[in-house]
Amino acid sequence: MKHYALPLLLALALALALALAGCSEEPSATVAAAVDSNRPDNRELKVGLTQEFENLNAIIGQMMATIYLHKISGRTLVYMDTDANWQPQIVERIPSFDNGDAQIVMEQGRQKIRAQWRIKDDQFWGDGTPVTATDIEFSWRVGSHKNVTVGEKEVYTTVERVELDPADDKAFVFIYEKARWDFARMGSFFTLPEHLEGPVFERHADQPLGYEKNTLYVTAPTTAGLYNGPYRVSEIKLGSHLVFKRNEHWRGQPPAIEQLVFKIIPNTATLEANIRSGTIDMISVLGLKFDQAMKFEKTVLREQLPLQVNYKPSITYEHIDLQLNNPLLQDVRVRRALVHAINREELVNALFEGKQARAIHNIAPIDPWYSDDPTYVVDYPYSPRRANKLLDEAGWTLGPDNYRSRDGVRLSLQFMTTAGDKSRELVQTYLQDQWKAVGIEITIKNEPARVYFGETVRKGKYSALAMFAYISSPENSPKSTLHSKNIPRQDNQFSGQNTGGWVSEPVDRLLELLDGEFDETKRLALVQQILQHYTDQVPVIPLYYRSDISVTPNNLEGYQLPGHQFQASNNVEYWNLTE
Amino acid sequence: MSAFILRRLLQTVVVLVLLSFVCYYVMSLMPGDPIDIMVSSNPKMTAEDVTRLKSLYGLDQPITVRYWHWLTAFSQGDFGYSRTYRIPVQDMIAPRLLNTLYLSALALTMALLIGIPLGVIAGLNPGSRFDYVANFFSYGGISMPSFWLGILLIIVFAVKLEWLPAGGTQTIGANLSGWQAFVDRLKYLILPAISLMTLQAGVYLRFARSSMIEAMGNDFIRTARAKGLSRYRVIWVHGFRNALIPLITVVSLSASTIFSGAIITETVFAYQGVGKLVFDSIVGNDFNMAMVSFMISIAMVLTMNLLADILYALADPRISYN
Repeated sequence: MKHYALPLLLALALALALALAGCSEEPSATVAAAVDSNRPDNRELKVGLTQEFENLNAIIGQMMATIYLHKISGRTLVYMDTDANWQPQIVERIPSFDNGDAQIVMEQGRQKIRAQWRIKDDQFWGDGTPVTATDIEFSWRVGSHKNVTVGEKEVYTTVERVELDPADDKAFVFIYEKARWDFARMGSFFTLPEHLEGPVFERHADQPLGYEKNTLYVTAPTTAGLYNGPYRVSEIKLGSHLVFKRNEHWRGQPPAIEQLVFKIIPNTATLEANIRSGTIDMISVLGLKFDQAMKFEKTVLREQLPLQVNYKPSITYEHIDLQLNNPLLQDVRVRRALVHAINREELVNALFEGKQARAIHNIAPIDPWYSDDPTYVVDYPYSPRRANKLLDEAGWTLGPDNYRSRDGVRLSLQFMTTAGDKSRELVQTYLQDQWKAVGIEITIKNEPARVYFGETVRKGKYSALAMFAYISSPENSPKSTLHSKNIPRQDNQFSGQNTGGWVSEPVDRLLELLDGEFDETKRLALVQQILQHYTDQVPVIPLYYRSDISVTPNNLEGYQLPGHQFQASNNVEYWNLTE
Repeated sequence: MSAFILRRLLQTVVVLVLLSFVCYYVMSLMPGDPIDIMVSSNPKMTAEDVTRLKSLYGLDQPITVRYWHWLTAFSQGDFGYSRTYRIPVQDMIAPRLLNTLYLSALALTMALLIGIPLGVIAGLNPGSRFDYVANFFSYGGISMPSFWLGILLIIVFAVKLEWLPAGGTQTIGANLSGWQAFVDRLKYLILPAISLMTLQAGVYLRFARSSMIEAMGNDFIRTARAKGLSRYRVIWVHGFRNALIPLITVVSLSASTIFSGAIITETVFAYQGVGKLVFDSIVGNDFNMAMVSFMISIAMVLTMNLLADILYALADPRISYN
């Protein structure tokens, strides 16, 4: 046995050290020093993200991470700035009726829009080739081609044809097939280099998926000429990492950071360990969950780590869809009582420390369409007294078991959300208690995200309440969620998102009018009318507007979280790591 | 023996085809296809977009037709196109598979080198202090969740001691070659391999111990000792060889599951293996990617079982397949 004594003692000591290290909750000067010694500088910034990305051909890309990363190496016609104002990006200005670059024209008896665009002279691909109107025309052909799998094809198909100017290779005209007010908001019209991708497309376009299997973004993704942003891709490994280096032919604000490394760390629990060990310097907006961020922020403050946890209220709208086919929810008094019964102010303060704002409807405060004008918006302050009164009026009487019933039927609603989502499960329990206080029985049934979003919500198969979030964009018509033709059904392939089945003839009419209203004041009035119906009829219970979260090193300047679809990566050239 | 191997190989092919249909069919029963998932995350997609995309991907075809198309393409070496990553499946899976093989091979080797000798020693000294300590470590290894151990290893060796990287597969952008590249890869392999091998080593230790105790209690061991054979010969030639049969079964079964069992370890360490890829492709209904992963997994189980059968015959002369 003597021979084994030493190794056994060593093993025991190691196990003890492991256990102690793992259990330690005390502030660690060693870790703070380690993070500080790993303080990044402008030579390299390593960013962690949890979500997968595809190749950077943004026309065929679908993943959120792909669009986030695309903005580092690619630029679009227009973009939305951090104040939610539209700005030209690769074009000189945004065509409008006011500046004379857009006109309504009549063709074959239909109203169309003719808009003139011109690409800035300082726009180049990574190989030095100028970005021209030919690239735009080519991108439009790719995006609208039947054999290319573009998720949101309407961005391309809304353009009926593209006219080029033989005298100016930077100028082009879009003829839009319908006269819509938002014709120029082409933030997701992505540009491809015709001189490189053109031959690939011509060779493979006639086979289904042929182009996307052979695009250079797949076969030769480090080709410099594929990128027109401040950086170009120098290394890419799908599912692993992406390395960007400065684009030598970028003529805009010169980027301060030489190299950006984006690394996928799929397990959110290990993101913290990775940033503390210096494996990454920053966590992108596609990283920490809200509860993890709050916990990590406390660690940062306690251990004085040189990091900053950033929160920015976003347009993501967390809400509860009400299934209006359920007879119990068809009475608007019950729906209003449900909102009055819950204290959303306390909810956001207690669970989110006030870092996510209480929602009053589906449009977030950062959206120019937001309104809290009581003339239009009906707010439902926390008032169990009013909730009880509404339920009494609706004939739901409180029984000896403290639950309400009518004609022998108990007021019992099933509440669903994604299983395993800590924040949502906390909110669910909190709301269950508050509804119980006014005599409403809530039964909870949660499902894995795959089943919940893939089947239950998508097909409107929940029986009463379904909690989830909508990710939208500012000034986006809520047609897909409110119009009655977007109630998911077999005949529309369950593509609509009006999952509760709300039918409102006035709202349908207002939504149709909204698309064709070019006057901004009148458009806003239409939105306010929609909000009036929405908040009065309560087809949905608004909960809170989510915040975007990221973790950045203290010495990073020029970084801004916008809270909408044009992410922080859109101003990457301004990021600067100070000494 | 060669007739037996040939027969088993033919059976393997039949089982592969049958199970491939079962897997394909079961996947098709999962709620929501990739386009449905796309719709739920993109409010701007119209019914026309859905019809067009389903037709492009062939998702509007009956399941049997889709399966037949997949099978014929697969048998010709065309593994299809990944709808998640938008590249051919083989381009995505080949490097990942190699990474997992490195990780699994290292973990398996470490588990065998630690678990079996310790188990044999414990089996030869049942009830001793060494036996108690070995059992303690064995139970610890078996019962410790690998994700917890993984996080613990990261905190100790990457965050506190800064000896090893917290995660990844190799140093990004280092452009290393030869010995330096090998050392670099090894640095990233150590922690995930320890995390993955701990459970296996514990299992092997338990099995080696109990098999050894049982083998050493046999009459022929007493006879061998009575004949005056050396302790080495009694233990290794007579005892250990007889203890090998159950060990072969356990090792072959666990060697085939180590492939899929690496999912958690790979996720925790952001290691670019095939485990995480399999999980994501199943969750994302990426049929082509998932099917190739299933086929590899099934083939590994069948191959390891065949290997185990062959090893039985080599370990025990009483077993014959003729």
